[in-house]
Amino acid sequence: MWKKRISFTAVSLFAITAVSNVNAAGGRDYISIVGSSTVYPFATTVAEQFGKTSSFKTPKIESTGSGGGMKLFCAGSGIKTPDITNASRRIKFSEYQKCQKNGVKEIVEVKIGYDGIVLANSKKSAQMTLSKKDIFLALAKDVPKPEGGETLVANPYKTWKDVNESLPDTKIEVLGPPPTSGTRDAFVELAMEGGCKKIDWIKALKKTDKKYFKSICHTVREDGAYIEVGENDNLIVQKLAANPKALGIFGFSFLDQNGDKVQGSIFGGEEPTFENIAAGKYPLSRPLYFYVKKSHVGVVPGMPEFLSEFTSDKAWGDEGYLSDKGLIPMPEEERKEFSNDAKALNMLVLEK
Amino acid sequence: MTVSKKESTMDRVNKGLAKRYRREKWFRLSGLGAIILSIGFLALLFLSIISNGWTAFQQTEMLLDIHFDAQEFDVDNLSAANYGVLVKDGMRTLFPEVKERRNKRKLYKLVSSGASYILQDMVEQDTTIIGSTQKIWLPADDEVDMFMKGNISREVAENNRRLSDKQISWIDRLAADGRLKKRFNTVFFTAGDSREPELAGIRGAVAGSLFTLAVTLLLSFPMGVATAVYLEEFAPKNRWTDLVEVNINNLAAVPSIVFGLLGLAVFLNFFGLPRSAPLVGGLVLTLMTLPTIIIASRASLKSVPPSIREAALGVGASKMQTITHHILPLAMPGMMTGTIIGMAQALGETAPLLMIGMVAFIVDVPGGVTDPATVLPVQIYLWADSPERAFMERTSAAIMVLLAFLIFMNGIAVFLRRKFERRW
Amino acid sequence: MSPKMFLLILLGLASFVYMQAKRKACSLNVSFRGSSGLHSRPGYYGLLSALWCVVPAVVIFAFWMFFSDSILTSLALKTLPDSLQNLSADQLNLLINNLRNLVAGHVAARDIDPVLQKAAVQYQGMAQISRVALGLVMGIVALLSASIVYSRIRPEMRARNHVERIVRLALVLCSTIAILTTIGIVLSVLFESIRFFQQVPITDFLFGMKWSPQMAMRADQAGSSGSFGAIPVLTGTFMISGIALSVAVPIGLLAAIYLSEYASTRVRAWAKPLMEILAGVPTVVYGFFAALVVAPFIRNSGEAIGLIVSSESALAAGLVMGIMIIPFVSSLSDDVINAVPQAMRDGSYGLGATKSETILNVIIPAALPGIVGGVLLAASRAIGETMIVVMAAGLSANFTANPLQAVTTVTVQIVTLLVGDQEFDSPKTLVAFALGLLLFIVTLILNVVALYVVRRYREEYE
Repeated sequence: MWKKRISFTAVSLFAITAVSNVNAAGGRDYISIVGSSTVYPFATTVAEQFGKTSSFKTPKIESTGSGGGMKLFCAGSGIKTPDITNASRRIKFSEYQKCQKNGVKEIVEVKIGYDGIVLANSKKSAQMTLSKKDIFLALAKDVPKPEGGETLVANPYKTWKDVNESLPDTKIEVLGPPPTSGTRDAFVELAMEGGCKKIDWIKALKKTDKKYFKSICHTVREDGAYIEVGENDNLIVQKLAANPKALGIFGFSFLDQNGDKVQGSIFGGEEPTFENIAAGKYPLSRPLYFYVKKSHVGVVPGMPEFLSEFTSDKAWGDEGYLSDKGLIPMPEEERKEFSNDAKALNMLVLEK
Repeated sequence: MTVSKKESTMDRVNKGLAKRYRREKWFRLSGLGAIILSIGFLALLFLSIISNGWTAFQQTEMLLDIHFDAQEFDVDNLSAANYGVLVKDGMRTLFPEVKERRNKRKLYKLVSSGASYILQDMVEQDTTIIGSTQKIWLPADDEVDMFMKGNISREVAENNRRLSDKQISWIDRLAADGRLKKRFNTVFFTAGDSREPELAGIRGAVAGSLFTLAVTLLLSFPMGVATAVYLEEFAPKNRWTDLVEVNINNLAAVPSIVFGLLGLAVFLNFFGLPRSAPLVGGLVLTLMTLPTIIIASRASLKSVPPSIREAALGVGASKMQTITHHILPLAMPGMMTGTIIGMAQALGETAPLLMIGMVAFIVDVPGGVTDPATVLPVQIYLWADSPERAFMERTSAAIMVLLAFLIFMNGIAVFLRRKFERRW
Repeated sequence: MSPKMFLLILLGLASFVYMQAKRKACSLNVSFRGSSGLHSRPGYYGLLSALWCVVPAVVIFAFWMFFSDSILTSLALKTLPDSLQNLSADQLNLLINNLRNLVAGHVAARDIDPVLQKAAVQYQGMAQISRVALGLVMGIVALLSASIVYSRIRPEMRARNHVERIVRLALVLCSTIAILTTIGIVLSVLFESIRFFQQVPITDFLFGMKWSPQMAMRADQAGSSGSFGAIPVLTGTFMISGIALSVAVPIGLLAAIYLSEYASTRVRAWAKPLMEILAGVPTVVYGFFAALVVAPFIRNSGEAIGLIVSSESALAAGLVMGIMIIPFVSSLSDDVINAVPQAMRDGSYGLGATKSETILNVIIPAALPGIVGGVLLAASRAIGETMIVVMAAGLSANFTANPLQAVTTVTVQIVTLLVGDQEFDSPKTLVAFALGLLLFIVTLILNVVALYVVRRYREEYE
């Protein structure tokens, strides 16, 4: 009898405790961040530092890709939407418009530094030397007829050697990000379009038929040579280490962190190193950003403090902890400018 | 004539016997082989995880002389002090000969970036140490830890490993001075997730798992048992209940990821519940475990012999009395076993939780069912994808913890079954 | 006083009411010529009063939990100046969050708007009032309804029947909820899939040979063409499952035969639970094992004999998945082999057959339907398995029959598509639901067939 009573009481106490836990009144008291997987390692480092050294909760960060993050960010300004989105490219005008339309009128743009896009392979294979044109020919969906002439054919190249005599005779197999990613956008704009322009008659198209030009230069082949890996650059590194024949596209920081497993290909005659990218010699470098919803500042606890942590010299400075993680710092004046912008919450105005 | 024929049959039988016995032996051996093979797989699985993971329970620490320079501190605002500088000063006093900026950076990398948090905690707890110099054991960086555990080899060419020759020579000197030591890794059990392996722990994930399981248990056990009792004892047997039965049996075999899709569509998009919350995780897992519990409970209700029912009804008990006084107590061990097995499944489940956003980077330990959280298996998945070598051993260690929980739960289930199992 | 305390007090109150009612019932129990004068046993009177004490109060409590917050918030908002009231829904939503944070003591901004501060104070005041009100109302309702029942306690009151009706109602309610939610939720996946099929014809999905779902996200971006042909994804799924089955079926079947026909009870007592551990290991652990141990091993040994092996070969994922489903095959086969009547074995031995001949020629054919059922169940488990393939299989939808190449599966694609973009407006995300539905239907068919086969088989021998 006693046993029964005790167990009955225990069960009801457990139930009561669990039920009353649900109603923890109060709004969202942590910062919610989405966006680029390239900025993810930097943002998580800052978030952790912020959470451990301040009285605020540690921000929650999901890696969704720049495009995916922008979509969530611009979905509205309610409390369910994220406060900050990271991007490995600048906000597009179409996204800005969408934000405006959905009531996200006030956006603060903060540039945090630079990053190189690297094409890397496993250290078990030889280092590759690539040019923009090689990349375009190897990865575009339609390429000019190999025999010459101004017509396009579906990409016939199977191995790197087919593309360029000096390259090794291995199958073209590139692991890269999907269209939700900012790295993909930046890669397409910098590398593919750059290679595209090397072909004169296509370059001429840019003036006459811009849309057609874009579709030639920006469309990536879909026959299995380019494999879209999700929003997870770590995964690409893992897969490269396991598959020495494949090439991967990701941000420099991941190369920096995994220098024992993968090596960056020489691109445009330059190796992807911290110094080369910082000096602007390496051709595939792009700025990284994050965007803040101004209407959430003062609503979600800790926003100004998080911004000042991110924009402090301790974090993004020349010797800051982010440079240890592979972020290439901006010059001093630029840092000052953006940290002032972040402090004053200056609004971004984009015009087409 | 008949005799010779008989003999020939016997001869044929006898001739074939050796071959048949040989076949018999082979067949038997292959059966034994299959069992040994599958238990061998199990052993291999456990062995590879334990051999990878046991080192994670130790963490290399470094003895530094930290001078808490009074000038650095503002008593009213202790968190404003730059604790990183204190750590760097401590390293510099050990290696005064390192001058060049590049080398200095390499030197500072030997100590964990979490060291400054520890100093901050110390100062906040006891402000009297400001101005003094203390000998403090601080966690070493994960690369140093890996080197000390022998996972980074000196033989590898310098640019193929994460530590340079210079760093290794410094580590050697520290080790020779007795300033490097392996200690039990308490951080692994007391901290939440982190980007730095040496600061990462499973407490956040374990708390998330517990909250999720509590929600699952509270919803699925009463509902599952009640449904089973109703279906087994009260519901009329007709086409409709047949359909319900088929439905429940099939739900038990639906791939778990489909439940994740349901959770995403219904709980997040339709009801607008928060992403990454144990509440939603618990709801999804409830849907998943409910069929298991219903099926187990019905089976154990069925196994109570009809004579018990008849006897109870015969002495004048009502139907409800028969059930609550006689059948449920007899069926309860079976129901509990089914529930525990269902809970163990829910504890190990990953795929549906990926769909509802429980994969975010969450450092804080959740304090309730609506806080963002991950669970243990998802944490394993996240760590398994991390590039740092040190996360690999932590992944294995987290797996060991998860398996320990599961074995414990299944052990209880087996115990219940053994203790209360009755043959009628 | 926190709401938690109310529940505790209610619990105490209920047990007090139980005691009192029981005592009253006992005192009324004037024996009537030796037999009891009460209709029910005294405990039922107590239980009935206690139920009437708890249930209405708990219902009130539940309502309060759900609605008090929003009602209080809207009341607090009323006190704000008009300028703040005519905000858009989103802004209002932000304001409410701010207010709630203020109330809970998480300060968002350094300088707090005095107006908002006032509202927060007001909120706190009202929250206090509402809590007190809740306590009073709960107490009054509990006592009132309990005392009504208490006062009605008479020997002829049919307390047991009342209690049983309440319990039965609760049972019906629970089972309806359990069944309706499961059905309703299956429908929701169906709806999302229908939305997908409105954009992409179902024939393209089912018979298309090209899988390239990563479409452009914006108008000014060039993405993939958006082909949603599920065939390469399905073949990949079937290949990996096929490999898994070709590992699991022979091993599982032989193990089951050995355990049920040859093994001594001691071996059986040890081996069976050990093998079942294989089924209890979480799939994420298998995924880690596959990626860490098996895949590199297969690649290295393949390269040693001069084969080109992809690091994410279907073979590695299939092999590990096979290990996982061994126990499914073996324990089901074990059951059906045990169910074969002993008479059939005895008959075979009587004719002079050896044990293995009996097994191969008599028992297996007799148990075959059950074994097939078990294999089908294992197959449905393999097809729906997610973590092993997410961690060890590839992402490229190759249409190939070479197990050394990387293939992708339905579950991998669902995970890849839904991490990142969560807006349900493009075919790219909706196709995940179509894949989920496909998975659901395939496993459903496999299960129905398997259960049917097993049931037919059981009927034959029982």
